[in-house]
Amino acid sequence: MADTRGCILEALRTAVRLPPAPRPVLPLQPELILDRPQLVARFTEELSVQTGVVLRATDARDALRHLTETAKAEHIATIMTSTDSALAPLDLKTWGQTHNIAVHTAADFADREAFRAACFGAQAGITGADFAIAETGTLGIIFHANQPRLISIAPPLHIAIFTIDRLVPTYEQAISQVFQDKHTPPSQFAFITGPSASADIQAIAFKGMHGPRKLIVILVG
Amino acid sequence: MQARTQEFKATARRELGNALSQTFLSLLPPGFTALRQIGMSSFPDPDAAVEYARAIRAEAIARLPELLEQFERRAIELGATVIWTRTSHEANEIILDLARERGATYITKSKSMITEETGLNEHLREGGVEPFETDLGEFITQLLGRPPFHIVGPAINVAPEEIRDAFMAKAGLKESTTDPVRLGLAARLFLRDKFEHLKMGVVGVNMAVASTGTIINVENEGNIRMIKSSPPTVVALMSPEKVVPTMSDALHLLRILSRNCTGQKITSYVSFDSGPKRDREIDGPEELFIVIVDNGRSQIYQDPLTREALRCIRCGACLNTCPVYTKIGGYPYGFAYSGPMGQVLNPLLLGLVDTRDLYQACTLCDACREVCPAGIDHPSLLLSYRARAASDVHGQQTVHALLRRSLATLLAFAMTHPRLWDLGIKLARPLVNIAAQKGSINNLPGAQGWFACRDLPAMPEKTFRERWRQDHG
Repeated sequence: MADTRGCILEALRTAVRLPPAPRPVLPLQPELILDRPQLVARFTEELSVQTGVVLRATDARDALRHLTETAKAEHIATIMTSTDSALAPLDLKTWGQTHNIAVHTAADFADREAFRAACFGAQAGITGADFAIAETGTLGIIFHANQPRLISIAPPLHIAIFTIDRLVPTYEQAISQVFQDKHTPPSQFAFITGPSASADIQAIAFKGMHGPRKLIVILVG
Repeated sequence: MQARTQEFKATARRELGNALSQTFLSLLPPGFTALRQIGMSSFPDPDAAVEYARAIRAEAIARLPELLEQFERRAIELGATVIWTRTSHEANEIILDLARERGATYITKSKSMITEETGLNEHLREGGVEPFETDLGEFITQLLGRPPFHIVGPAINVAPEEIRDAFMAKAGLKESTTDPVRLGLAARLFLRDKFEHLKMGVVGVNMAVASTGTIINVENEGNIRMIKSSPPTVVALMSPEKVVPTMSDALHLLRILSRNCTGQKITSYVSFDSGPKRDREIDGPEELFIVIVDNGRSQIYQDPLTREALRCIRCGACLNTCPVYTKIGGYPYGFAYSGPMGQVLNPLLLGLVDTRDLYQACTLCDACREVCPAGIDHPSLLLSYRARAASDVHGQQTVHALLRRSLATLLAFAMTHPRLWDLGIKLARPLVNIAAQKGSINNLPGAQGWFACRDLPAMPEKTFRERWRQDHG
């Protein structure tokens, strides 16, 4: 294999070199001048286009009220939740006991197999979000031990709860924090803009292909 | 994949008579053009955005060797395993071995043009590992044993009745339905089980970021995130030109790619993977293999002209505007890539001999070049293929090409001498019209080749100038 690598790189290196032209000027993204209420409005508007629902909560208690109503409306009995710092103040396990909803975290499962089965069996997944990007109504989520990947993709309903300070105007503000020089980036980072979707049959668009059918955002603050 | 580029004309003729393909194709130019324009108009300056994307791709190709090395170094630092392969066969063998070593009886895969090119599915199946396509459109084409019709919607022209029958026979669909949403649900249920118990998944790569060693995948359906989250082993297959210099370049290309592709400002999901999962994470791959397959690209790179074809980011915008593609659809191109990008790429990957019809089937209208966000000049490339094909291996013109050239010289001489031209056409018109049937000329002695895929309207009795003299003289 080392030889193959050498051959390919050598062929590329010894080919005629043509220096690239200088980069043209790129106008700044217009979202950069938005203030916080405008960012909230833009985020909400863009995510709504993708059928994402944005609920505003004044504090953690109010967020739990939204969550209770959502769980009732969607007939949720089993929830898988991450243990992201954004969710800590909510104490979801206690909330689940109060409302007779089984709330599980990754720590409840011994291995990948058990965790996968639980994620595919759960009716909803609750995660935090590291960024809410106004530009396109996009969530930016860093995956790590307390924010497993499957929770936001396997269950049919994804609920993301986070505080308003996570709002940023464009992708760049999120990416520059996630991929900082000299820091090891997370194993996975994802942009999530609405539920999963397809239009592969007769160009008829619908939500809920392989991932969630619904995305609900509870914005605290 | 098995190339069928020599069947271009026959397949094109058949597809012209395929009502379903034609219905979809007739909607493509107005539909996709409008979607793309709406998407692009959300840029503060759409032209500047396109120019910038073209500059990124130009730079990525100009700096390809060092960017690849940088990407590899960073990816290895993050714990990924990078494997270089020269041919499709080598890449397929590596992936088959990885699956076997891990005891995987099946794999799931994302829609990936490079796996179409290498023929990964056939190779895995022959090796005893069942590959499941998980993109809805690819899942359908796989069940039906068809090539992709369109890069974005591989099965968009397939009748729901046909999908229903295939799903009932092979994908566990119980109720008879032709509703796209219910059919989608059936595919969802069938594939969820595969995702849940997956040992190894295979994905393509939209972009590989040199500065961070990150691979980026763009999708709407969530199948790629499933494949990159659930199994302990993930293989990402990419060709060398997928590399881009920096993360901010990747973000700009992301904005451009989705807008050009489906008119979306962004797809439902974009996932950025930097190495395998870290120690305490419960999901995500324990091992991430990045397989780089050259498959002739380092040779394509030798020529500064053909190198330009490697700029392509597979958005599919050129298909939607091409007057040829939008008449014949994706099947005639006979290989992984269709439309103008296929006309440019397939001859480079398969050779100019067996792909002649592909680079001939172009009106040089320039629509693809105008719409291309990567800055590829398709018409110039196609002209260069034609010029090369007109010469033999020693660079000498073939007899056929010499004849054509002499004819062109003669015509040019006549056209620059009006009296000679007038006399010529006066004599030629009745002669040519002998071959006319029902107002069109379908053949002329000695020009069968030219008429094989072209018709001429019959010549009117008098020229415009003769009629003008008669009526106004």
